[in-house]
Amino acid sequence: MRKQVRLTIDDRQITAPAGTLIVNAAKQIGIDIPVFCYHPKMEPVGMCRMCLVEVGRPIIDRNTGQPVLEDGQPKIQFGPKLETACTTPVSEGMVVRGMSEKAKAGQNEIVEFLLTSHPLDCPICDKGGECPLQNLTMEHGPGKSRFLYDEKFHLEKRVPLGDLIFLDRERCIQCARCIRFQDEIAGEPVIGFYNRGRATDIVTYTDPGFDSVFSGNTTDICPVGALTTSDFRFGARTWELKSTASVCGQCPVGCNIVFNTRREAKADGRIVIKRVMPRQNEQVNEIWLCDKGRFAYHYTENGARLSRPLVKKNGKLEASSWDEAAAIAGGKLRSADGEVVVLASGRLSNEDLFNLKSLADGLGGKALLYTQMGGGDLTARFGVGAGTNFGEMGAGTTILVAASDLYNEAPVWHLRVKGAAKRGATVIVANGRETKLDAFAKYVVRYAYGDEVETINGLQQKEKIGEAITSAENLVVLFGSDGLGLNGTSNLAAACAELVQGRAGKPNNGLIGVWPKANDQGAWEIGFRPTDDLSSELKGKTVYVVAADPAGDDPQLAAALKEAKFVIAQELFQTATADLADVVLPAQAYTERDGSFTSGERRAQRFYAAVPAFGESQADYAITALVADAAGVELADSAGQVFENLVVTVEAFAGLTYEILAETAEQWPVVGRGDMYYGGTTYENTRGLGAHLVGWGERGETASRPRVQEETELRPKEGQWLAVPVTKLYDQGLTVRSSKLLESHIGAATVTLHPEAAKRLGAGAGELVEISLNGTTAQVSVLLDETVSASVALLPRGMGLPISGPVVAGLKKV
Amino acid sequence: MSLAEKYPQEIQKIFAKYPPEQKRSAVMPLLYLAQREEGFITKGAMEEIAGMLGIKVTEVAEIVGFYTLYHDEKAGKYRMQVCTDLPCALRGADKFIEELCGNLGVKVGETTEDGLVTVEAVMCLAACDKAPMLQTQGSDGINYHENMTVDKTLELIEALKKSVA
Repeated sequence: MRKQVRLTIDDRQITAPAGTLIVNAAKQIGIDIPVFCYHPKMEPVGMCRMCLVEVGRPIIDRNTGQPVLEDGQPKIQFGPKLETACTTPVSEGMVVRGMSEKAKAGQNEIVEFLLTSHPLDCPICDKGGECPLQNLTMEHGPGKSRFLYDEKFHLEKRVPLGDLIFLDRERCIQCARCIRFQDEIAGEPVIGFYNRGRATDIVTYTDPGFDSVFSGNTTDICPVGALTTSDFRFGARTWELKSTASVCGQCPVGCNIVFNTRREAKADGRIVIKRVMPRQNEQVNEIWLCDKGRFAYHYTENGARLSRPLVKKNGKLEASSWDEAAAIAGGKLRSADGEVVVLASGRLSNEDLFNLKSLADGLGGKALLYTQMGGGDLTARFGVGAGTNFGEMGAGTTILVAASDLYNEAPVWHLRVKGAAKRGATVIVANGRETKLDAFAKYVVRYAYGDEVETINGLQQKEKIGEAITSAENLVVLFGSDGLGLNGTSNLAAACAELVQGRAGKPNNGLIGVWPKANDQGAWEIGFRPTDDLSSELKGKTVYVVAADPAGDDPQLAAALKEAKFVIAQELFQTATADLADVVLPAQAYTERDGSFTSGERRAQRFYAAVPAFGESQADYAITALVADAAGVELADSAGQVFENLVVTVEAFAGLTYEILAETAEQWPVVGRGDMYYGGTTYENTRGLGAHLVGWGERGETASRPRVQEETELRPKEGQWLAVPVTKLYDQGLTVRSSKLLESHIGAATVTLHPEAAKRLGAGAGELVEISLNGTTAQVSVLLDETVSASVALLPRGMGLPISGPVVAGLKKV
Repeated sequence: MSLAEKYPQEIQKIFAKYPPEQKRSAVMPLLYLAQREEGFITKGAMEEIAGMLGIKVTEVAEIVGFYTLYHDEKAGKYRMQVCTDLPCALRGADKFIEELCGNLGVKVGETTEDGLVTVEAVMCLAACDKAPMLQTQGSDGINYHENMTVDKTLELIEALKKSVA
């Protein structure tokens, strides 16, 4: 523990650890010292001078080394000038006056100074109502300007930094919070200052502009309306917005968010989502969000969504009623005599998956997880313990990232692991190609695709890396699916589990799966399992497909579904699978209902209904209850009841209640409505931090040693290629491609090759080649990456090509 | 033609001055090298330098923007930078630049028709006692010209014209 020092701030005596900055020491006891450039998540720079205070220190007698006393009290000497509270650390006996006339005068003058080149266009500014400058102007501003209005300084008001973020140059007060965020926290310095003095401008020179998936965060911490998102720009006044707590459904990190909603004339009087804001959860996402989480929500409002149940009559899907559709679906499930397959994805909530699993069990059928990533049985057993927090990891912690491109697979984990590395954690990245995390890793292990398991098994034998793993106080292993399919990831998970098996259950120790979907972990815990031969599982069965589009992803699965006995599809959109279905059931988006997700860290978190349901759609768990009722299986049909049934049935959830998930605790830094000047516009967490599932250790189970299965290695012949799947953040997945805003980020299908390999093929960067794999042929454009092996072709998942795992492919120049 | 192709030896010399793990420190001499080409730094040159140093192009641009002796716009072969701060103005620098511009037929910031000279007004050049004064910035570096008159400056321009031709 650091030495504690005693000091006085505004006549209140406090103790704070040595090294604490005055501004933070004050904040901790509820004293607000105004700031613009200072942000508690970043290094202080003292650029804006807003936090000027009077600082006095005890006079020390040089002979005795003791404070000079006056009337029995140490004599305090105040500096001749004001000091910045954001750069000055506290010291023993210090006296800080932030409210004195001298300090106030200093602060007021800074505001007046800032306002000389600020347009004060609050009535048309998106930040109006939640703007630190607006609030501090009300408190410290002069009320009347001493400057000539006609000489007001004007600059461009609409500068697109990228297609998602706009800059208003004249509103900018040059605090550099955005630039420092990109540099210090995101590790991508893609925006910077150009020129100086009044001509200082924020610029980006990357192509595309502001090339970072964390760009949206800069609008939250901007203390003025200089940076706005193209999504919310001129969208609404902030005080008209209602806020509903939720959890991002795009990846397994489980970032806490808020949906800001408003009733809108443009939307025919419906209540619509106006923006997504981060909600503070220091153990999950701190106060950050990636741009996918912030902008991809539009899919929930896409007008093409299913609004009514459909039933196939005379070979055509026709609108029907819930009663009829549920009766038909339930009747078919009941009469299938156990030949039932429930196929669901981790896009669903715990409640939906539990009801589906209960239905499958009740009918004697199978509950299959639609995924190409295995190992969830191992994360359920060897997952990180309760209390795990990347934000606390530093020296003494080793983090191994195996076969995962975190930047694309789970961006906020990339940011958190990078933060841990900065605090001294040893980060080891093992991958078949260079990823963005490599730059922050202590050790980078490069293997040839296919050697994943061998590589992980060999890590402990390596001198330095082995030492870092075995002697680490804490060890977290994240494994992903870079270049791997179901078998490969299952084996990789087993190899990774061996590294942590003696540690699992302890906080900041264990295994984390970087799943493709938000709630894959929950699906595994509840009992869903993937299968390596889905086609044959589907043929001849009565199939209930929920939140998955196998027919759209893979022509072979489409063929298998055509041979199914009866197909029920429950979806948001009319997918290729829904086209093949006999009954189509319209589901609510997760923004329209209550529920909970289980994050990759095994944290169950609640989300709440933010907007009314689209059309006649119903919540997935409720639809399943309706269908089950017709099939003769009784299930609960409210989220709360389903969760109650879940916790008594599935041991990992034992002891949890909705109330526990909704519990909150004090968090640092302080954010929220009254503290926006300090932490930004991130929302305070008032609706729950979530809770960890019960660990295997606490359940008293003994861990059996995970086994690695033998796999026949794929060896491409001369002239062939080993095509491996990789993850692209913005893909053509249903929840991304249905969001207009992100269209330009998705792009077309690509193949990534080694430059030499591309040369042999006769194709340069950007040129088209023809690829044939899994019975499909398509034209894709070439990207170059000199870190992949020569005969490997990287294909992004979810970009229209059916690639579920490594496969031998043919490539030729068009 | 890229910088690496055109100045392989100079670049090697510059890199030799810095420890390999601090090679980003070479950004400023590399920018001067790039500026030698056309009197200003192109976006292409910034990208190439960013690639050489393993930093983002925006970080290179920040340096270009911050320092006034780097230029990002095309100008004449020589920039004539006249100090017009208060002490120089008291010694007639403002009148000097006005008459000089009148003689050359340009405004402050503009380039003469033959593309030889761009007249710029700048902040203190630390030669107040020898005002009016100016510095010329061209591919041969920076040179001070002190105690100037318009006639002397026109002679200087003639000399520059000859040296270029």
